[in-house]
Amino acid sequence: MHLDKKERSLLGLSTILLGFLFVLLIKAQGVAGSQVTFQETAVPSLIKTEQENQQLSIENAKIQEELVKYAQGQSASSLLNQQVQEAMMNAGLVELVGPGVQITLDDSTRVATGDEDQNKYYIHEEYIREILNALWNGGAEAVAINGQRVTTHTEVFCGGSFIQINGTRQMPPYVIGAIGDSHNLSAALKFYGWDRLGEFQEQYGITRKLEVLDNIITPAGKLKEYRYAEPVKEGT
Amino acid sequence: MQRWKRTLALPVTMVAIALGFLIALQAQTQKNVSAAEQISEQRMSQMKAVLINSQEQNAQLQKEHQELSARLDVARKQVGTDPQLLVHLKQLQMLDGTQAVEGPGILISIDDRSNKVAFPLNTNDIATMINILKLAGAEAISINDQRVVGSTAIVLSGNSTILVNQVPVNRSEGVPYEVSAIGDQATLMDYFSELEAVTLKQRGMTVSIARKSLRVPSFKGSYTFKQAKHFDSQES
Repeated sequence: MHLDKKERSLLGLSTILLGFLFVLLIKAQGVAGSQVTFQETAVPSLIKTEQENQQLSIENAKIQEELVKYAQGQSASSLLNQQVQEAMMNAGLVELVGPGVQITLDDSTRVATGDEDQNKYYIHEEYIREILNALWNGGAEAVAINGQRVTTHTEVFCGGSFIQINGTRQMPPYVIGAIGDSHNLSAALKFYGWDRLGEFQEQYGITRKLEVLDNIITPAGKLKEYRYAEPVKEGT
Repeated sequence: MQRWKRTLALPVTMVAIALGFLIALQAQTQKNVSAAEQISEQRMSQMKAVLINSQEQNAQLQKEHQELSARLDVARKQVGTDPQLLVHLKQLQMLDGTQAVEGPGILISIDDRSNKVAFPLNTNDIATMINILKLAGAEAISINDQRVVGSTAIVLSGNSTILVNQVPVNRSEGVPYEVSAIGDQATLMDYFSELEAVTLKQRGMTVSIARKSLRVPSFKGSYTFKQAKHFDSQES
């Protein structure tokens, strides 16, 4: 194609213009993109500090209350006893009873046929942990599995044919009792993995049962002797 | 001009119109973008201000907390609190997590930001890690400064925000996940590196474990018992 001078210069000009436009466009796009990421990271840290602030002020108020009680000359031992009682309740060292839900999980009675994986017919530690997680998230006040109270140091670890809980060997069926608001507890369960267990029930015949009961009993947990951890000295 | 072919007149006109249109559009977008930029910048500075404000408040509260705790210790000594009972209370509070502790342990740092990682660290991985540390006899565990207690739930909120104790733990900078565990260093190291670190490394994450003297913060959440009652008081 033959172009004369005028045409060529026109073409050149329009090309430059187009390029310029593109650069502008890309720049505009880039600016819009980079802003979002900062906001995304700033929000969680803001929520976190805010929540921590709230918790701290509650804690401070508690200490202040205690200081006032001391100043008023309340008996030190009764106050301390009260605190010990409260701490025992929190730590799960008191046998509790209350309304809640009871979940029963059991291995399938069927045996895998052909190429199927026999593992799918068993109850695994993950299932139990997932349920515990959901129950706590649903506001459970106390949880026990097969008579073992779940405390801060409770592990749920698969050791082959049994599951180790609180250092004891537990065999199926696994009965999990949780005290709390049964609506919230069931809702939390349904949100986290309950349906998946339902599928396993249909496919492989494992047992998955949820009952709402008025009297769930969670036995007392054990106190742990600490050999490594020491309380942080405050005010230092 | 007369030398221009007639057939060229129509396309050139069209191109000119299109170009004009584009320029007008670009000018418009540019205006919008700069306006959006301004709004976004404003928001950002507001957010930063809120964040800084909240962080300042946090520091203030923490200082207050330390002072109050120190005063409480003094007050307890003055009224002659039974030291043995006080030790018992501390032990209970270590179990329920409301007492910050320090001691020897391991610090696990996990970086899942590499682009070799197809599936970043999820809630299930964290739960598994914590379970293994409990199995190894950890006396206190925290993940990104959130103390792990019995009732700790680890759940996902939205697409990528991980909540531990209902608080987002995601970090915007530095090492994404840091898990502290106090206990027997050799056991913790053995269990963690053999049972969990290998899997995470295979998935492309950077996992480093260091023996350290650690401080694990206290559990800032609260325990509430609305449904649960003492078992013996019910039965009588």
